Amino acid sequence: MTHPITLRVNGVPYPLGVDAHATLLNVIRDQVALTGSKEGCDDSECGACMMLIDGQPVNSCSYLAVQADDTEVTTVEGLAPDDKLAPLQEAFLVEGAVQCGFCTPGMLISATCLLRDNPHPATDEVRIALSGNLCRCTGYDGIVRAVLDVAASRSADPRSIARPAVSRHER
Amino acid sequence: MTMAPERTPFIRSDGKEKVTGAGRYTADLNLTGQLHAKFRYADHPHARILSIDTAAARALPGVFAVLTWEDVPDVLYGGSVNDRRLFAKEKVRWEGDIVAAVAARTADLAAEAAGLIDVRYEVLPPLTDFAANAEADAQLVHEAWADYEADENLGLSGNILGHSSIVKGDADAAMAGADVVVKSRYVADASQGAPIEPRAIVADWQGDKVTVWSSTQVPFAARSGIAHTLNIPESQVRIIVPLLGGGFGSKCDFHFEAHVAALARATRRPVKLVFSRREEFLAPDHRREGMIIELETGASRDGRLVARRGRLILDKGAYCGEGGFFAQMAAMHACGPYQIDAVNVDSYLNYSNQQPSGSIRAPTAPQACWALEQHMDELAAALEMDPAELRRRTLIGEGDEGPAGQVFEEIGAKQTLEAALDMIGYGRELPEDEAIGVACGWWPSFGVPSGAYVKLNRDGTGTIVTGAMESGTGAVMGLPLLAAEALGMKAEDFSILYQDTDAGPWDMGSSGSQTTFNNGRAVVEAATEVREKLLDLAADDLEVSRDDLVLADGTLSVKGSPDSSVTIATLAGSGEPILGKGSGDVPEAPAVDASGCVGRLGLESFLAPQLITQAARVKLDRDTGVIRVLEVAAAHDSGVIVNRIGADGQVYGGVLMGIGQALSEATWFDDEGRQLNPGLLDYKLQTASDAPEINIRWVEIDTPNAGPNGGKGVGEPPSVPTPGAIGNAIAKLVGRPIDRLPMTPERVWEAIHGGPEE
Repeated sequence: MTHPITLRVNGVPYPLGVDAHATLLNVIRDQVALTGSKEGCDDSECGACMMLIDGQPVNSCSYLAVQADDTEVTTVEGLAPDDKLAPLQEAFLVEGAVQCGFCTPGMLISATCLLRDNPHPATDEVRIALSGNLCRCTGYDGIVRAVLDVAASRSADPRSIARPAVSRHER
Repeated sequence: MTMAPERTPFIRSDGKEKVTGAGRYTADLNLTGQLHAKFRYADHPHARILSIDTAAARALPGVFAVLTWEDVPDVLYGGSVNDRRLFAKEKVRWEGDIVAAVAARTADLAAEAAGLIDVRYEVLPPLTDFAANAEADAQLVHEAWADYEADENLGLSGNILGHSSIVKGDADAAMAGADVVVKSRYVADASQGAPIEPRAIVADWQGDKVTVWSSTQVPFAARSGIAHTLNIPESQVRIIVPLLGGGFGSKCDFHFEAHVAALARATRRPVKLVFSRREEFLAPDHRREGMIIELETGASRDGRLVARRGRLILDKGAYCGEGGFFAQMAAMHACGPYQIDAVNVDSYLNYSNQQPSGSIRAPTAPQACWALEQHMDELAAALEMDPAELRRRTLIGEGDEGPAGQVFEEIGAKQTLEAALDMIGYGRELPEDEAIGVACGWWPSFGVPSGAYVKLNRDGTGTIVTGAMESGTGAVMGLPLLAAEALGMKAEDFSILYQDTDAGPWDMGSSGSQTTFNNGRAVVEAATEVREKLLDLAADDLEVSRDDLVLADGTLSVKGSPDSSVTIATLAGSGEPILGKGSGDVPEAPAVDASGCVGRLGLESFLAPQLITQAARVKLDRDTGVIRVLEVAAAHDSGVIVNRIGADGQVYGGVLMGIGQALSEATWFDDEGRQLNPGLLDYKLQTASDAPEINIRWVEIDTPNAGPNGGKGVGEPPSVPTPGAIGNAIAKLVGRPIDRLPMTPERVWEAIHGGPEE
C-alpha cells in the first residue's frame, strides 16, 4: 500500500505515492529521479545523503519519505538553480575540495547550512559543523578552506552575498 | 633542490558535474527492464559444502535467476595464483565467499530469495591464526594448492602463498660485530580502504556482447576477468566506469563483474548490483593485511647501520588476488630508505580463513614502516643519539647502495628529513603532554606499459583518449596540462575520453600511483606526434621550413615574422585528421645483485623511488589514553609536480588516512574469522574535527628515470610514514613504543598504566 504525499524538491512540487517504509533518499533518487544525493552507508554514518528539510539538514537515508510530506526539500541540485555555480560550489573547485566527489553533495548541503546560520565561522566551528560528513579523499583541508573563503568574501563585499537557495524555503 | 613555485590552481574538468550533483556514479544508472542482484555469502568462514538447494529461492515470484557454481564455466582465476572460482564449489574459505547469486525484480526480493537458498555444510575449524598456518602440521586452506597455476617466483607451498627474502652480505657476522643491537616485535591489525561509495555494477547484454558499468579502479582487469571466467573473448566485453567514488586500492582487481554479467545473461535483462555499507566491508577480497614484524638492527656507536635482520609474517587471507607481491614489498619496507651494510630479511605471506588482503594505498608499507621507524627510535635511544640525527646519518643519498645492491641516483631522502624537521620546529619546547615524532619512508614508481591517443577537433580544441582511470585523485584530470604544454594550447582546450575499454588503450588502472608516471608519458608522446603533424601541415601552408616555425597560443607562426601564421583551428578545420598515439618508453628497473634473494618478483629494487619524511606533533590525555594529532609536517620527493592542487590533495588525504590507521582504524575479527565492526560507527574514519593542521613541502628533484617532465607518483606515499611518526611521538610521551597498530586509547592507556601486554 502506498501513501500519497507531496514533496516540494528544490521548489518543484512532486505528488507521489510512497511505501510507508521508503526512505526520503530512495524516493528522491528513484521516484523524483534526482541522483545527486548519495547513499554511502544507509545508517546516518557518512552524511553523503544529506538534504535540507524546511532548511534543516537531515541524513535522508534515515528519514522516512512520509515524514517529509508537505515540506520543502533542498538537495545538491537545488544549490545552483540558475545553472550558475553558487559561491560555495566555486570555492570547492578552486580549493581542491573535490576529489572523487561522492561526499561532495552532502558536504555542500552541510556547509551551506552552516554559512546560513553562522556567516563567519571560526575554523574549528567549520570542522565541527562538517564532522557528520565523511570524506576519504581530501583530508578535509580544501573543504574547510573553501568554506572559510566564502565566509571571508562575503564579509569583504556584502553585495556579493547570494542568499543561499535554502533560505527561500524557510517557513 | 628546488621548491615548487605557487602555480595557478587548475580546476579539474569533472569538477562542475561533481559539485552540482549532475555527475553519474554507477549506482545512479538505471536501465529499462533492469533486475536487482544479491549474493548469498558463506554461512561459515571455513566449511565444506555438502549441498546447495535453490528450489525455494527459484520458486519465489519475482525471482528471475539463481546461479551457483554449476551455472558458470568451471574456471579457476586469481592474480599470481589461480586459486578461486566465482562461486564456491567444494569449500567456503572466508565469510565473504559467494555461494550463490540471485536476480529479482527488486533488491528486497533478491535478498529474500538469497536467504531461502538451503546450503548444507560440514563446518571445519577456522584457520584464522595466519602465523600458525605456516607450521608443518597445520590444516590447509587450499588442499589442492599444488595443482594451482601460480607464479613460480612466489614459492607457493601449502599455506605459505609467498616467501621472499632480501639478502645482502653476511648479516649474522655483521650483527655479531655491532656495538649496539636492538630487537623489536610489532603486530599490525588488518584495516580497510573504505571508499565512501559502496561498489555498484550494472550489466547489459546486446547480442553476444556485454557492457558492464562498474565502480572499479581497474577496468581492463575487470574485462579480462569476465572474459576468463565466462569463457568469452575480451572483444565481447566492454567495461565503462562512470564517475568513481574513491577506491584507495579496495576497488582494484577483478571482483564481482562476472557474477552480474552471468545473471544478466541468464535473465536476458539488465542486472544491477549495489553493495550495502556492510557488504562493502565484508565482501571485497581487499583489505590491508594484518602483519607481524620482527626486526633486529646492529649499529656502530656513531650510528652506522651494520646489520638488519627481519622476519615478517603477513595475513593473505583466503585467496591470492593481485596481492602476491606483498611479501617482497613488505621486506623492502622492513629495510627502508637507509644505508645498511648487511641485510637478511625473510617475509612470508600466509593463507588463512580471513578476508583476502589486497592492495590498499601503499600495500604493506604503513604497517612495516610504522614498525621500522619505531624500531629506529629504539635504536637511537640505545645509541643515546637524537632520532633525527640517526636518520640524518643513515638515510640513502646519491651513490648509496640499497638492500639488494641498487645504486641510487639523485634522490631527495635527506632533503625531506630536513624540510620536515624545519616545518614542525623540531627541538622546540613543548608542553609536557605533547611530543614530536619523525618517520621516513619510501615507495617505488611502477613502470608499466600505458597508452593514449590525442586528436584535434575541427575548432582547434583537442580530445585525449586514454585507458587511464580516474579514481578521484585527479591524475587523469591533470593529463591535459601535459598535452597542452606539448601543443602550445590551453589545458582547458582538451576534453578527455576515459574509463571505457572500447576506447582507450590497455592500462593498469588506478593503482600503484602510476597514472601520471606512465600514462603521462603516453600523452606527451601522443601530443608530440600531433605537434609533428601540425608542423608539417603549417610548413606546407606557409611555405617555410619546419625549423622556422613556432607553436604557441594555438598558432603556428614563422620566427621573426609573426604576421605569417596559421592557427591550429585552421589546420584542424581543413578536414585532415590530426591525431597521435603514444605509449612512451617504460623506464628500466635499476640493476641489482639479488643473487642471495628468494621469491623475486622484481621489487627488490625501487624504480625512481619516492621519498617521504613526516613529523607529527601529538597530544596525550594520560587519563584516557586518547591521542590527538595536532600537526603534521609532510615533506615529499615525488619528483617535479605536474599539478600542485592535485598533489597537495593526495598528501592531505593520505596523511589523514595514515592518522586513521595509526589511531582508530582496524577490522576486528571473532575467533571464527567473522568481522566484528563492518560499519562506519565501529570502524572509525577520521572526521573534519579530528584532522590536524597539515603542512606540505615538495622537494622537487629532476630524478633520472622519472615520468613526464621529471614527475614521479604521489597517490600512495603520503600514508606510508604517518603511523610511524605518530607512534614515535606517542612513545616519547608514554616511555615506550606501542607495539600494536592501531594505537587505540585502550592500548595507549595500558602502556601507561601497565595493563596486560597483548
